[in-house]
Parts: sequence; C-alpha cells; structure tokens
Amino acid sequence: MKNINLTKWRYISSAISIFLMLASLTIVCVKGFNWGLDFTGGVVTEVQLDRKITSSELQPLLNAAYQQDVSVISASEPGRWVLRYADTAQSHVDIAQTLAPLGEVQVLNTSVVGPQVGKELAEQGGLALLVAMLAILGYLSYRFEWRLASGALFALVHDVIFVLAFFSLTQMEFNLTVLAAVLAILGYSLNDSIIIADRIRELLIAKPKLAIQEINNQAIVATFSRTMVTSGTTLMTVGALWIMGGGPLEGFSIAMFIGILTGTFSSISVGTSLPEFLGLNSEHYKVQVITDTP
Amino acid sequence: MDNIQSKKLLNHYSAWKYIVLIVTIIVMLFSALPTWYGENAAVQVGAKAGLNLTPIELRDKLTAQGIEVKRIEVKQHGEDKGQTLIVLNDDSEQTLVKTLVSSMVTEPKELTLALVSAAPSWLQNLGFEPIKLGLDLRGGVQFLLDVDVQPVYQAQADALVESLRQFLREQQIRGASVRIDNTRDDAALQIAIALTDAAQADNSARATVRQFIQQSYPTWQLTNADNGLVIKLSQDEQSKLRNLTVQQNLQIMRSRIEELGITEALVQRQGEHRIRIELPGVQDPAAAKNVIGATASLAFFEVKESGSVNAQVLKDKSGNPVYVARSPVLGGDHIVDARANIGEMGMAEVNIHLDRIGGQKMSEFSRANIGKPMATSYSEYSRDEQGKAKQTQEIISVATIQSQLGDRFRITGAGTYQEAQQLALLLRAGSMTAPVTIVEERTIGPTLGAENIQNGFAALGLGMGITLLFMALWYRRLGWVANVALISNMVILFGLLALIPGAVLTLPGIAGLVLTVGMAVDTNVLIFERIKDKLKEGRSFALAIDTGFDSAFSTIFDANFTTMITAVVLYSIGNGPIQGFALTLGLGLLTSMFTGIFASRALINLVYGRDARRHVRV
Repeated sequence: MKNINLTKWRYISSAISIFLMLASLTIVCVKGFNWGLDFTGGVVTEVQLDRKITSSELQPLLNAAYQQDVSVISASEPGRWVLRYADTAQSHVDIAQTLAPLGEVQVLNTSVVGPQVGKELAEQGGLALLVAMLAILGYLSYRFEWRLASGALFALVHDVIFVLAFFSLTQMEFNLTVLAAVLAILGYSLNDSIIIADRIRELLIAKPKLAIQEINNQAIVATFSRTMVTSGTTLMTVGALWIMGGGPLEGFSIAMFIGILTGTFSSISVGTSLPEFLGLNSEHYKVQVITDTP
Repeated sequence: MDNIQSKKLLNHYSAWKYIVLIVTIIVMLFSALPTWYGENAAVQVGAKAGLNLTPIELRDKLTAQGIEVKRIEVKQHGEDKGQTLIVLNDDSEQTLVKTLVSSMVTEPKELTLALVSAAPSWLQNLGFEPIKLGLDLRGGVQFLLDVDVQPVYQAQADALVESLRQFLREQQIRGASVRIDNTRDDAALQIAIALTDAAQADNSARATVRQFIQQSYPTWQLTNADNGLVIKLSQDEQSKLRNLTVQQNLQIMRSRIEELGITEALVQRQGEHRIRIELPGVQDPAAAKNVIGATASLAFFEVKESGSVNAQVLKDKSGNPVYVARSPVLGGDHIVDARANIGEMGMAEVNIHLDRIGGQKMSEFSRANIGKPMATSYSEYSRDEQGKAKQTQEIISVATIQSQLGDRFRITGAGTYQEAQQLALLLRAGSMTAPVTIVEERTIGPTLGAENIQNGFAALGLGMGITLLFMALWYRRLGWVANVALISNMVILFGLLALIPGAVLTLPGIAGLVLTVGMAVDTNVLIFERIKDKLKEGRSFALAIDTGFDSAFSTIFDANFTTMITAVVLYSIGNGPIQGFALTLGLGLLTSMFTGIFASRALINLVYGRDARRHVRV
C-alpha cells in the first residue's frame, strides 16, 4: 500500500519537475542573464564611503565624471558601494578624486576587463560546460545501461536549468564563480542519481522477478537515509558559506544551495521515473549464460 | 605464515598499513602547520645594498618613525650572506618601510618586498612552507597583457615584398606586380604576385620567382593561383614567430618586474598570446603600469675616439664610457628579425635581418667604415611616479665591421651562445614589433584580502563544526570514526596544498574546501548505511563491517568519479581563482576517499573488528 503511494508520488513529482523545467527554460529565454564583469568586460570598483552617503548623492557625481550611466549597487556592508561602468576613454578618471567632495574615500578593489577577454571567458565557460557534459555522458554510458543513464542525465539537465532560471529570474550577477558552481552542481547532482541507479542495478540483478516500479521504490527507500544525510550535511556547509562567506561567495553559495536541493529532488523523482517510462527491466541486466557449458 | 594467517582473519589490517597511515598523517600535519602561523610582510635588504647600520640601530630608527618591527635578521652564512631581513608587525607598512630604508642605503635597487613564514624555525628547517595564497586573499594587482603578433607578420611580409620587387627589377621581369593581401581576416598575411597575360605566357618568369623564394625565403609557402602566385607564411613558421614574440615579451616583462623588487611576483604565459602578471602586495597599479608599459628601442652608432668633442657619451654594461656619434646610423625600427646561431667556426653569432631602407643605410655606412667599430645601444622609455617619460640608454655591444653589410648581416663576438641569444632577444625587443596592451587589470585591496580570508575560514569552521556535531549525534557508535576521518581529511588536504608546487589557495578554493567537508562524510555515510543494512539482515557486527565496506566501494567510486570529471575540466579550462576551486575540489575528493575508506576502516578494525555481537544499533 505504502509503495503504491510512493509510485504515485514519484509520478506526480516527475510531472511537476518537467513543468518547472519548461517554465525555467522560458524564463531563461525571456529574461536572459545579468552577466558579470568577467563575461561582459568593463570596469568594476568597490569603494568604502561614509555610512550616511546615499546612492542619490553618488550617482550624479559619477555620471558627470564618466559621461555615462554608472551602475551603483550597495554592497554587503553599509557605506560600501560597487560601481560598474563601461571601459571608455573617460573611465580612466581617478575615482577617489571624483568622489572627494563626499568625504573620505577608500578604494577597496578595481577590476578592468577588456571586451575581448570577456568574450573569450564566456566561450571558455561554455566549452567547459560542454566538455564536462560530454565526459560525464561518456562515463555514464560506459557504466550504466542507457535507459538508466538517461534518467541521471535528465535529472542533471533539470538541475542546471533550474539554477540558471533562478539567476535569470532574480537577475543576480552571473559571474565566473557562479559558473564554477554550476559545474560543481553537474558533478554533485549526478552523485545522488548514481547512488540510486547503483541500487536499482543491484536489485535488478538480485530480484529479476520484481516489477520495475517496485524495484525503483525499494532502491529509493534503501538509499533514502543516505540521501538525506549527505544532502543535509552538504546543505549545512553550503549554508555556512552563504552566511559567513561574505559578498564574493554569495552567488556561489546560493547556486550550490539550490543545486543541491533540486539535485536531491530530481534524482528521486525524474531520475527514477524516466528509465521506468523508457521500459527498463531486469532483462537489461540479466546475467549472461555462460556459453562454453554444453 | 603471516600471509596465510592474515587472509583468514576478518577485519585485520597488517601493521605496515597502520604505519603508512600514521606517517602520512604526521607528515601532512607538519606540512599544514606553517599555514596556521601564516606569513609576515618583510623588507629584504640585499648584501650589496650598502646598509651601514647594525640591526639595533636600524630597529631604533624604524621605531622612531612609529613602525613596529617583529625581528631583524642578518644572514651570517649561505648564499645570502650579509642579507638583512626586516620582518614587520603590520603588513600594510611594507611599502612605507621600503621607502624609509631606501634612504639609508646606497643602492635602493637591492631592496625587495618579501613574505616570510611566521612558523617557528624548527618547522621551517624541516622544509615546510605555508600554502601560497592567491591575489584575492592576499591583495595586490593583476594584469593580463595581450601581445599583438600581427605587426610581426606584417614586418616579415613587408621585407619580403621589398626584396621581391627588387629581384623582379634586377631580373627585368616585366608584367609582374607584388602586393600584400590585407583583405583576408585570418592572422597571417598573404602576398599575391599577379602576372599579366604576357608574363603568364612566358613560363620562365614564374619559375624564376619560384626558385628565388624557395632559395631565399624557405619559410614561406608557395601556391599557384589563377593569375600568378600566392605566398603565405607556413603554419610552422607562424607559430614559431608567435612563440618567439611572446617569449621575448615574457623575458622583457620579467626583467622589468624584477626592478619593482617584488620577490613573489608571477609572470607567466597564458594561452597563445597572453601574459599574466601577478604582483602581490602592490597597491598602486599606476606605478606597475608605467613599468610594464615602457617601450624599448635600439640603435646602431658610429663609435668615435674617446674624448672626442662631437660625440655623446653612453655607458656600457660595466659602466665604462663609450663615445658615439650624436645621431645613430640606424634605428631599431628597421630590424625585422634577429636570431642567435652557432657560426662556421663554432662561435656564437647573431644574425640580423633589416628592412630595405635599413639595408641601404647600413650598406652605405659600412662601406665607408670597414675596420672601424660600431656600437649597438638599447634604450627604454618608461614613466616615473610623476608620469614623466624618462629614458635609460645603454651600450650592449661594440663590434668591428669586417666588410660591407647589406640587409642581412651578423654580429660575432657577442660571447657565449647564451649571451648571443640574449643579444638577439634584445635586438628583437628593440624593434618592438609586437605592441603589448593591458586587456585585464584587477586590484584587490589588502583589507579586502584579509576580510576574504577571515570570511572564508569562518565559513569553513562553522560548516565543519555543524558537520562534526551532526555526525556525532546521528551515527552515535560510528560517528566518531567519521569525525576522525573528516579531521584527518582536512589535515591531509591542507598538507597537500602546501606541498604541491604551484598550488594556490584562492577564495573559490576555500569554497571548494567547505564543499569538501560536506561531501567527504558521504563516503562514511554510504559505508555506515550498508553496515546498517547488513546488520538488519542478521549478520554479526564484524561481518557486517566487512561486507559493508566491500559493497559500498563501487558506489563510492562511481559517485566520486563524476565530480572528479568536472574538477578536471574546470582545472584545465578555467583560470586563476576557478583553478583554485577545481584544485581543492579534486584534491578533496582524493583525500576523502583515502580517509573515508582507508583511515576509517583502520580505526573500525581496531575497535570493532572482533565484535561478534548481533543486533547492534548503529
């Protein structure tokens, strides 16, 4: 009785997953990304000013000095601002001098990235994503039967698209560290799927008579406590990184956090339901009859 | 005997395995320790700097300026005999101290900024050093330079076109026109030789040109086109030229950065035509930019008799004056190429290739001055702190003209082959055929760097604390094993990061460490869950441990392998900070397998290996 409920739950959650994935794809296509400096090129400066100064005081000064619309974002701490503008001839104006009328200015860091470098980094990032995907695909097809592998792969694509959609929806900056997080999610999401797939394979060999739905359910139940413990500890440490890591690691930790959540969810739902849908059964893992016995 | 016995024993690790485990952890602990102590900023005063103060006097002088000194060391023996090291309490005073000390010495060039390990000396004597920190944790300036190779190809093509035209004139081949084809987009240029119909009919014209190019310019590739010939630089030669150009720029940058006096500076090639420069501790990119952006040039001078009035005096490398004509015979902009070679007599020589105008000038000058010396000068324009251009000029060689020279000639007497290579490098540099532009620049303030370290390690501490607590509460009986494994995992990971040459810890690298903490327990969790299963099936604790470890292994391997794939891809494709992330992620996987499987098995064997009870709760 309980297992029939589990099967039902798996199907419903798979449907939800697929729906969310389509929605995510639409969001990514419509809204696009707020690409970080690493990919667009330009200038980013972080300054520390008096806490009382507001962005409405900063903006006109900067716009006049750099003759363009400078984006002024408040950073994690009060009095700290992130200024971003395009790299033009005017952008070599000294920032400390420009802001001098507002009192003491401390320039914390500056990054200038040429447009060519940004383009190359974006290409490299895309290449990294592609190569990682292909390598994983190769490994999976070598290690598992294709129906079983397709479930893991679908779960993987699902997780990555979901994280991308989150960054697209919130328009949080998508920079190199977030890309690194997305790649780490590739590895992590598979982690869960593979452990369940391993169990399914084991059960298929051990209990060939059992229906595939039942095998999937048993595999999920058998690995459930492990899935929860590992996801739990990883979520806790990533959460610690989110709370304590400060501004530069915020995007990274959020991406990882979401990735781990959806990774756990998708490996249980879509990851197991898709192979079932594709007709996986114990025939595919039947032990070969030894041919040399007469 | 032993072997047979141990096979029969369940859950038994032989003594040597424990020895390997303990030695590994102790060595890694020693290797990780210096990082705990960190590094101190220091100013290094070379032996030749001419510092005439005793360490105590020096300390008093600095204290009078309000600077706290941790210690002052004077090296008494070894390579750096006579070198003084001023170790500071406050890292931010490093530059200030350097300026102060430079007024106390005769040779301020001998002062360098350095970082010294703060670990106790017995640990340093063992050869262990702290983990290298990336710029995002340490603060500093980073540049990415782009070397534009196109003008190098252009110069080569120009020289060929000139000499081809001359050849056609000399051979009286009419109806042939030579031009550089600039319309194409790709990196290399091509030269088109168009022949009129009359010239086409005469097959000998085509053959003569062919032969000339094959003989004199073997690095160019010839192809037949509809109305003539097309010549292109061969792929081989293109990459050779590109490598030479980038290497030459690397060398120039290294020697310039050396003048900035930063021991930890990094100058390395990135990709095909990029150079990455990292200057830790430097806070003002403007000063560094002036040095990097300096341009070099080269000139050939007629040498005058010493004491001559109508001459200028330049110094050579050893500081001796050389009297040369006021204006040069030829500027370095006429040099197309310079390469070092071993000549017929086994002597090192430098082959120089000039463009046409340069060749004519040199030919006229050398005809009139056979048997007389000619000097080569190297000058560099750079900007000082006030942004004013300043020039430094030096004679790099004086050679005697043996015969009339053309557009190709060689300089002998440059010394050894290495020295000839150096000269060739300088000569190519003098022509400055490859402009260098700064395409990326990042400055990280020292306060921000320190803040990043603090935040990163706070997150690591918190994440580790929660995980340890959770594991202890969740797997009561076996939890402590997982926790010991996790702690030794971190020790080994830190030890490895300090040991591996070239490993750099960056902020994303710390994120990788935090992630490793969360994922490392997975190995233990998988094993413990299997043991639980086996216990449920009614096996004894000892037997459950044995089969649990065995059956979990392939799953652990599979799960870690995919993450390893992404780590390797990230490391090979990413750069800088991202490589730091890939490094800690990948290393963390390896060490967590080692501690999770090997170390925790060793512990469990020792404590529960003989436990024959059934129905144990884990």
